[in-house]
Amino acid sequence: MWTLPRLQTLLASLLTAVFLLWLIVPFAMALLWSLVDPGTPWSYPDILPPALSFERWTLMWETTTLSTAMFNSYTLAPVAAVTAIVLAAPTAYAFARIDFPGKAAAQIVTLTPLVLPGFVTAVFFASILVSFGVYSRYGAILLGHVVLFIPYAVRILTVSFAQVNQEVINAARDLGASGWGVFRAAFWPVLKPGVLASFLIVFILSIEEFALAFIVGSPSFTTIPTILFSYLGYDFIRPNAAVVALILVVPNVLLMLVLERLLQSANPANVSGKG
Amino acid sequence: MPKAVKLALLLAPAFGLVVVMMSLVIWRAVAQSFGLYNFNGEDLLSLRHWAEMFATRRYWNALEWSAYVATTSALITLAIAYPLALWLRKPFAGSYLLSALLKAPYFVPGLVAVFLLLNVIAFHGIVNQALMWLGLTDRPIRLQNDRNGYGLIALQVWKQLPLAFLLLQGAVQAIPDPVLNAARDLGAGPVARFRKVVLPLTARAMQAASILIFINVAGDFTFQATVGPTRENSLATLMVQYQGTNYGDWNAAAVVGVTLMGLSLVGAVVFTALVQGLTRAMERA
Repeated sequence: MWTLPRLQTLLASLLTAVFLLWLIVPFAMALLWSLVDPGTPWSYPDILPPALSFERWTLMWETTTLSTAMFNSYTLAPVAAVTAIVLAAPTAYAFARIDFPGKAAAQIVTLTPLVLPGFVTAVFFASILVSFGVYSRYGAILLGHVVLFIPYAVRILTVSFAQVNQEVINAARDLGASGWGVFRAAFWPVLKPGVLASFLIVFILSIEEFALAFIVGSPSFTTIPTILFSYLGYDFIRPNAAVVALILVVPNVLLMLVLERLLQSANPANVSGKG
Repeated sequence: MPKAVKLALLLAPAFGLVVVMMSLVIWRAVAQSFGLYNFNGEDLLSLRHWAEMFATRRYWNALEWSAYVATTSALITLAIAYPLALWLRKPFAGSYLLSALLKAPYFVPGLVAVFLLLNVIAFHGIVNQALMWLGLTDRPIRLQNDRNGYGLIALQVWKQLPLAFLLLQGAVQAIPDPVLNAARDLGAGPVARFRKVVLPLTARAMQAASILIFINVAGDFTFQATVGPTRENSLATLMVQYQGTNYGDWNAAAVVGVTLMGLSLVGAVVFTALVQGLTRAMERA
């Protein structure tokens, strides 16, 4: 007889299978498309590509601006992440350890970059750049990414700073530790997972960010998302888009999995348990 | 150092930066929509750009389309996420994997999702082949950029589902078992328990999810520009067209941008009222 738990499990496995197919099939197709040999096109009614090679990957690397775009993205993201952390830390400290009137409101206001439509921010940020005569695309996009993603760093670091144990700070001071010593003994062990998590989230979001990079950067300054967009538009070049899509998604998914782990280990019970 | 000065110095780098930059951006949008910072002529405070836009059909179409896609996407996403969150409240065999899979789209950047979808629904793509194999159609159907925006809305729902699921799952799992047991002991059936206990306790999460989805979808450019119907514009694509190289009309773009911010605000207010009204009506019924 069908019992409720068995029915539940059956339904769950069915849905799981559907979702897995729904994820695996498109990714497998993307991978196949990126490996289609440019000399022997894959067209209807072939079910699988007639010839596979890494030709497309080397071709893309040598003949398109992909390498420049990757250089731009991967030099922007770490700088944006470090800048965001350095700027976020003092504010997070204040949010976590100082009581002041209007704190709750200030914390909400810090989140505005997250709710303002991305393209509105991008277009009118570009408008301000025009007025001020700022022509450095790298610097402009860097500033934009720091402002857009600093809310995440502030939030994560606020939680971290709140977990720092006042008694450990006092003990370090009583034992004659200098400011730096107190930081190393009492703050850093507790802050470390939060700092790493902030770095990763800003890094990932910066790599993925499209609106600002597109409005401010195009046409001269390309990043991985803007180059992918150009292959999705009216000149849809499927194998090229497949290569760029994989370059964009695979490293970020791996980093996201690391991030999940870190956010779990930033759990107060794990961190402050040591005292 | 006085406490206030110290506090100001601590808040300046992040909170100060956000306040300054965001106010500059919002001020710039509003000011340009009223003719200030005019890059093509003299600055002149006027309602001219709004009046011109109000007389443009494309503007009203874009506003209507963005509002329609955002509302439908938010409602469909909630309708899928809410039952799933309730169902997966208690762990059972296979429920963890399913929860993890439901959150997977969160890891996939929007543009990559677009590419994956385009691949699947292509003219000789897997969906068309399956339809033909099943005998539902004898010729491939054009699914890309369909006129009704079904592909667009499906992609939005797929992308927004993790957010709704995470928020609702958090709220549903936070309902203490004793509360539900007490309601049962007092004679409340499943429907009554849902109406009087579960719904009121998850209303805030539902409100937050619906507002965030509405704002995210209303401001969409990427999905509309790639998989949306070609004859429609979202407010964001229209704004970028005005600002872009063809027109360079920043003031017109500003009118559209301010409209988009207004639409987000209206959406937030409407969904708040909707969720609260629904909760109250269900409690009383």
